[in-house]
Amino acid sequence: MENIKKLSPVVFKARPVKTEVRDNQTVVLEYVGEELGPYLTDLSHKIRWDVQDSNLDAIKPWGIAIPETPGLSVLENGFLINRMNRTQASVWHLAGEKPDDPDDSAYTETTDATMFVALTGRETFAIAEKLTSLDFAVPDKKAPFLLQGPIAHVPCQIVTLAQNGEHCGLLFTCSRGYAQSMIGAILEAGEEFGLRPAGETAFNKFLTQ
Amino acid sequence: MNRFYQLPTLRIDPTRKKTFTYLGKTYQGVDGDTVAAALYANGIRIFARSLKYHRPRGLYSMDGECSNTCMEVDNIPNVRAENTLLKNGMTVKAQNVKGTPEKDFMGFMDKMSWAMPAGFYYNTMHKPASIWPIALKQIRKVAGLGKLAPDFEMTGKYDEIFPTADVCVIGGGPAGMNAALAAAENGLRVILLESRPWLGGFFEYRAAQYQNETPLFQRARDLAKQVADTPDIRTFTHTAMVGAYNNNLITAFQTGGADDSFDQRYIEIRAQSVVVATGCIERPLLFENNEKPGIMQIACAHRLARTYGLLPGEKAVFSIGHDLGLEAAIDLFDLGLKISCVADIREDGQDPDLVEIMRRKKIPLLRGWVATDAHGKKTLNKVTLSTLQGTRDKEFACDLLVASAGMTPVTGPLAVAQAELCFDNHTGFFLPANLPVKMHAAGRMLGLNDALAIEASGRSAGLLAAADCGSSVDTSLNEARADLENLPGPVKGSKMVTAPVKGDKTFICFDEDTTVKNIKQAIKKGFDVAELIKRFTSASTGPGQGGIPGHNLPLFVAQYNADPDVSAKPTTIRPPLVPTFIATYAGANHDMCKRTPLDALQKKAGGVFRRIGVWSRARYFSQDFTCRDEIENVRNNVGLFDASTLGKFRIWGPDALKALQRVYVGDMSKIADGKIKYSAMCNEDACIIDDGVVIKRGENDYYFTTSTARAGAAVEWIRYHTRYDGWNFNMVNLTDALGVINLAGPNARKVLAKVTDADISNDAFPYAGYREFKIKDTIPVRVMRLGFVGELSYELHTPSSYMPALWEILEDAGSEFGIRNFGLEAQNVLRMEKCHLIIGAESEQRTTLHDVGLGFLWDRTKTDTKTVGAFALKQTEKQDGRLKLVGFKMENSDARAPRDGSIIVDSKIRGYVCIARNSHTLNEVVGLALVDESLAETGTKLEIYEDECGDERLYAVVALTPFYDPDAKRLKM
Repeated sequence: MENIKKLSPVVFKARPVKTEVRDNQTVVLEYVGEELGPYLTDLSHKIRWDVQDSNLDAIKPWGIAIPETPGLSVLENGFLINRMNRTQASVWHLAGEKPDDPDDSAYTETTDATMFVALTGRETFAIAEKLTSLDFAVPDKKAPFLLQGPIAHVPCQIVTLAQNGEHCGLLFTCSRGYAQSMIGAILEAGEEFGLRPAGETAFNKFLTQ
Repeated sequence: MNRFYQLPTLRIDPTRKKTFTYLGKTYQGVDGDTVAAALYANGIRIFARSLKYHRPRGLYSMDGECSNTCMEVDNIPNVRAENTLLKNGMTVKAQNVKGTPEKDFMGFMDKMSWAMPAGFYYNTMHKPASIWPIALKQIRKVAGLGKLAPDFEMTGKYDEIFPTADVCVIGGGPAGMNAALAAAENGLRVILLESRPWLGGFFEYRAAQYQNETPLFQRARDLAKQVADTPDIRTFTHTAMVGAYNNNLITAFQTGGADDSFDQRYIEIRAQSVVVATGCIERPLLFENNEKPGIMQIACAHRLARTYGLLPGEKAVFSIGHDLGLEAAIDLFDLGLKISCVADIREDGQDPDLVEIMRRKKIPLLRGWVATDAHGKKTLNKVTLSTLQGTRDKEFACDLLVASAGMTPVTGPLAVAQAELCFDNHTGFFLPANLPVKMHAAGRMLGLNDALAIEASGRSAGLLAAADCGSSVDTSLNEARADLENLPGPVKGSKMVTAPVKGDKTFICFDEDTTVKNIKQAIKKGFDVAELIKRFTSASTGPGQGGIPGHNLPLFVAQYNADPDVSAKPTTIRPPLVPTFIATYAGANHDMCKRTPLDALQKKAGGVFRRIGVWSRARYFSQDFTCRDEIENVRNNVGLFDASTLGKFRIWGPDALKALQRVYVGDMSKIADGKIKYSAMCNEDACIIDDGVVIKRGENDYYFTTSTARAGAAVEWIRYHTRYDGWNFNMVNLTDALGVINLAGPNARKVLAKVTDADISNDAFPYAGYREFKIKDTIPVRVMRLGFVGELSYELHTPSSYMPALWEILEDAGSEFGIRNFGLEAQNVLRMEKCHLIIGAESEQRTTLHDVGLGFLWDRTKTDTKTVGAFALKQTEKQDGRLKLVGFKMENSDARAPRDGSIIVDSKIRGYVCIARNSHTLNEVVGLALVDESLAETGTKLEIYEDECGDERLYAVVALTPFYDPDAKRLKM
């Protein structure tokens, strides 16, 4: 069905210059005037799952071991796996071909449940601290790691992806319904730092660095 | 006024002029000036009039410690002119003035002070009682500082940040900077807060020697550079700490500079450890007319010259109690100030070097003398000095009196952190006796006066803070402590509070015009504790937050009561420690609300949105708020409703059924394949808290819905009520993952049939059925045949990303039938006509399942799990005196609908109207009400009282329900 399209909850005012249609959804690869960061990238189209089981350690999503300690994350083969608590983890597919749906009742696809964005660039943490008291740059924690708490008073899952001077990045999800408010709040917080929307290509570059 | 432009301590840039207006006239200041400094430079001496007596007030502390220099700046009242940097184009006005500050028509109030003793408003104007309302209006007219127009809108940008630190240092003076450097040496993240626009504290403006020919101001700048060069120290200048809370949560606000993106911003810091190094302020000297313009504190006079290049007067008298006064007198003398005399409260103990310099410079020094009276009609022109005993006096003509009783520590940050403060006889200070965990005090506030000792104290505190964060600092800390021990300790402080005067016009609190006489009056009335006296006299309740009277009040009370050990404590102060704009606390104030996947489409369709809980929802689709067309289209044709806000959950696992049985009143083991089960949840008191449907999608795998309001609490509710069972089940909240469209109306099946190949005939997909299929072979939907609005309805649950597509497909398919949107209000009327409940609208905290007529949902045969509320359901089933839900119609057919929430009365309140609307379908007003059981019988007349209806009443009659389609034929068609 050519006209049936999925829509992201995130809408930027910027004009896309490169797009791609995947799984009935238009993905923006690049916006006009991206220039230098910091960037806010919509990744809501990236597939995500919730994994729950009383014996979570026995589950290996796409062959990857779930970290044993809540709050730890692992980035492997394009999958970011975040241990949330004793029985629950989240799996975010960041790069590579679309994986097959897992055949296990422990998984629930939550792609549409949340908006998913990346905040990248040197000023990432300066922007984030305008929105939350969560400490994403704890020196004794090694990225990637997960925090669960509020951004602009909205409950979120946030992963510090990198915290090395110029190379800083956060990924986070919150309830899809908050997308418009959240994007507004982030862009307003980032205005003084020149925060601008960026397409998926910018994020992929960040990821490979 | 000529200014010094060559002093190395200056913080102004004379090459950059700034223009502002004051009382309609244009003046010039320079970059770096505060509003107060710029006014002073332009010869302004009277800045405002006092609160009660309208006495002229001028520059006093230079740090905004009192309301003397609170002014209206750019239409914002109560701006502290001493702390506010001048900007080009500012408009400045004096406040609390009728006329001009020089000629205030309310100035006569000063002569009426005899009529306003302490607590006069408690004693006068109450008899006869009829006088009080009149008096109250007059008092209110003259009370208060500043005026704000009702339509005033705050301009500017107000921001907020929430940084985290290992160590937070409050105070950017020498001790604070050393503390920050010591903590940062250990690799810790440090935040340093300083209320002035630059670091340096009391070193920063002084030309006296620090060490090895280095002046103090240079040392301050060297330290500031070290701080700036240390990447782990984050410095916030022009930032006032305003609050301290549990677990070292420190709040502050920062005033933005020319290059900042904000005017003010709120800062909330989470720190592991805190160092308080806020130094001292001067304790005001109490004598007659001690607040007359021309009288100022030592640092005020000194900083006017050294920081702003302004000689504070031409001819001065000093009445001081600290070596800083002698140092300032010498320095200002060198800068050209004529000094008639320096009276020192102390009979001995002065720094001999300073005394020798004064002797050489022929500056007269009177030891054991003090100012007793200041003269001059509006500003100072003469001072009377006397011996401490009042046995001899002398008068000096002057336009400046530098007056100070001594130093006192800035204990506000410690006080709001709940530190205990005790009076120390040696220093005359209130010192911290028990500091909260992981909080340390350092520097001058501990009574230290020696520059090196102050720095060593700061370093020691910084290392202690580092130890709190787990750093290994034993060696460094021992060295720092040894250094401190080898340096001079706390110095003996002046304890003098008041000169030998009667105190009629000796002001202990400038903000509230409270005199020493008022304090004595309060004490005579039996208020013997400073905390009570504060309340009775209002001393220290003004915008200065007790800065001026803060420590003088308890000391004066102790001395007056001859309390030998000064057991009095400083009165309680609370955040914010300094006046802060409400706008700053509000910060960015992002309006965070949820929007459904159909938000844009519904807006495009003319939806009128309302905020309902966390959601923004389309309530109407026209300006006809009765929604007649929307309702009639559903009843007669077909409508589309966005129900995406419903709570939606997956629950699965071996014990999922047990969990459902626990929280739902029905027997959830009886959910048939392909069917929905409607049920309700109660709390332990049998009060209904939610309702929804449950579907079995697989073995031990269920999908259930909750009301919108309960969506956020459902998972916690189920986990809470199964917390001791150790059951193995999992839950995922799918509320935002799936959107919901309610396709309702007699033509609903025809519309749906056009977009799916699935068999949706009444036989294949009957009422209360559940199916999963695809729309247009692409969009997966979970479809329930429900009838909340009382018509043939399909509730389509679909992935949120497909929702706009599905909506447009249905709109397109339904166009031939005249399909249209309906909003929340239409849905509300439709379901009310059918008497379908909304939990929370037709129930309240005390409403049981039985009260709303849903007792039939309770399955009392369940045995394997104990249902939440089951015991109370038994108890309340036949309980008397409960409010019952009834339907009603108006007694007169032409009567209007009563407002929701109107009460039902006879001689008492007997219930209330939950909802009532004029039903276009039924052509009459109908409603639902919770009423006393005695009124619940069909045919009972209800008397309805609306707000402000006077003697008018509306009358209704209890009616049979449901009002619409009582046989439920339309749901099952």
